[in-house]
Amino acid sequence: MPAELRATTGAGEAAVEVRGLRKIYPGGVEAVKGIDFQVAPGEVLGLLGPNGAGKSTTIGMLTTTIKPTSGSARLAGFDVAREPIAARLVSSVVFQDSVLDKALTGRRNLELHARLWGIPASYAARKITELAGAFGLAEVMSRPAGSYSGGQRRRLEIARALVSEPRVLFLDEPTAGLDTRIRYELLDLISGLRSRTGMTTVLTTHYLDEAERLCDRVAVMHRGTIVALDRPGTLLASLGGELIELRVADNPDGALAALRSHGLASGDAFAVGSTLTVPLHGHSARDTLTAIASLGIRAEAVTTRKPTLDDIYLQLTGSRLAA
Amino acid sequence: MTTTTASAATALGRPGAPGRPRGLATWATLAGRRISLSAHTPREILAPLATPLLFALVIAPALAKLIPAAGPGGADYSTFVIVGTVGLLIPLTCTFAGIGVIVDRASGARRELLAAPVPRSLIVLGNLAVAIAVSLLQVAALVVAGWLRGSHFHATAGGVGWFFGGVLTFTVFMYSVAEVMANRIPTQEEYVGLTPVVAILPWFLAGSLFPITALPGWLAWAARILPTTHALALLRYGVLDHTGAGLHNIWGFTSTTTDAALSLLVLGAWAVVVTAAAIHVFTRSAVT
Repeated sequence: MPAELRATTGAGEAAVEVRGLRKIYPGGVEAVKGIDFQVAPGEVLGLLGPNGAGKSTTIGMLTTTIKPTSGSARLAGFDVAREPIAARLVSSVVFQDSVLDKALTGRRNLELHARLWGIPASYAARKITELAGAFGLAEVMSRPAGSYSGGQRRRLEIARALVSEPRVLFLDEPTAGLDTRIRYELLDLISGLRSRTGMTTVLTTHYLDEAERLCDRVAVMHRGTIVALDRPGTLLASLGGELIELRVADNPDGALAALRSHGLASGDAFAVGSTLTVPLHGHSARDTLTAIASLGIRAEAVTTRKPTLDDIYLQLTGSRLAA
Repeated sequence: MTTTTASAATALGRPGAPGRPRGLATWATLAGRRISLSAHTPREILAPLATPLLFALVIAPALAKLIPAAGPGGADYSTFVIVGTVGLLIPLTCTFAGIGVIVDRASGARRELLAAPVPRSLIVLGNLAVAIAVSLLQVAALVVAGWLRGSHFHATAGGVGWFFGGVLTFTVFMYSVAEVMANRIPTQEEYVGLTPVVAILPWFLAGSLFPITALPGWLAWAARILPTTHALALLRYGVLDHTGAGLHNIWGFTSTTTDAALSLLVLGAWAVVVTAAAIHVFTRSAVT
């Protein structure tokens, strides 16, 4: 089929389409084990998982810097393996590490992106001025990028990615390594992108609050596979509105079994180390704690709280996201 | 190509977007980027020039006093060495330029370039264009400095053509060697450590300070394989020694023009093969 027919994505067609994508690195490490997902136009998908889960390898394959071992991926209809240049033309990526020409000014970095993506010079000039203003960089655009603070560099890199008005934007750990204040500023900025541009975004992160705040759906990755893919609210709802977390003095597995056998914990309760997490699913926390005490389970600490994506991740994989 | 370009532009939904940038414009953009970066690190330009200038302006005239007899082909020894130092200048310039490739990879915008909608070979060719321009400028600076110091060049239009062809092909060859090294060697420290072996050692064997016939027999044969030897013989034939003594030492044909054409062919073949290798190594290193 001619490229132009496929490339003009119709209504309802996925902006990102991944089928059976797999990567085995030389040496035999299988970083991504045949994943499938689609991202609708305008949707923000978060790839959530700790280091080594396969997020960056997935992004690498989608941005054509990592060659898939098998499977396929399309960006706006373009196959990343067979039409890599067209796929790169409709996408931009903000890398986890700073990837700037530090000796060049901020403006020159953006101009280079515009030229490489074939943006007409006059249009690019207007766009760069607009982005510099919107991202709070107007005052520093004439300075070498190497003199920017960490937050300014990251904002410059996001602005650079937007100069070409990509249909698909990849943000690989966009707030990694930034201090808390800058991180929250950047989250504001990224969440504003969606309302401003409506572009499709694929975001990798191991920060739960980022995923909850920015993403329409999250794909939870663990050891190269997607173990859950849904809206953050839906995933959280699977654990109910409240849970009890208790640290037991000894034999957490035995304690969990006892709770289950007495109907105090359902199948989604789990133990990690000496900590038991027990979704309440509508039961009263007080009644549950009283029942636990009556079983003779000695708890060193008890917390009642709302579920988070970390609980989802723990339940699915048995390890913490921030590990 | 055209169909994909048009469709991608449509897909972008950008008003007035021309789609994929054209090859020549992209190449110019990449070369312009490299020029901008080099302009911010003038040591890349000045440092390679220092040693050859020292040779040309101080050491060569001093040696010429010790060696009063005319150099090969009747040229004065000082001028003989000045042209010979081109064989040092170009390798140093090109290997220093290769450091920029490592900096790009380690802390620069290489990954942004790899994510750009351009053929990755153009990234290598953009760098090569700048290496050629810088080398030509430096060779011109060296020749002018030698001329001001009293060297005697005998340039004809044809001779300048041979000289230019030699400089061009030798630069393409040397920069491609540097690009291969930069993409294969993991650290800047290791790269710099290898530079003397690649840029300086062949120069001593290539007839830069004395004819290759002065070398022991087996080493003279080894020298005939070195691109630097062909380059220096060609450059001297172009602007210094119209008898082509250096070329004759390599080929031994009765026609000097044939000798020169063969040496240019050897240099061109080296340049093409190593440039293809440089592009291959870069594009392979770009994709895991």
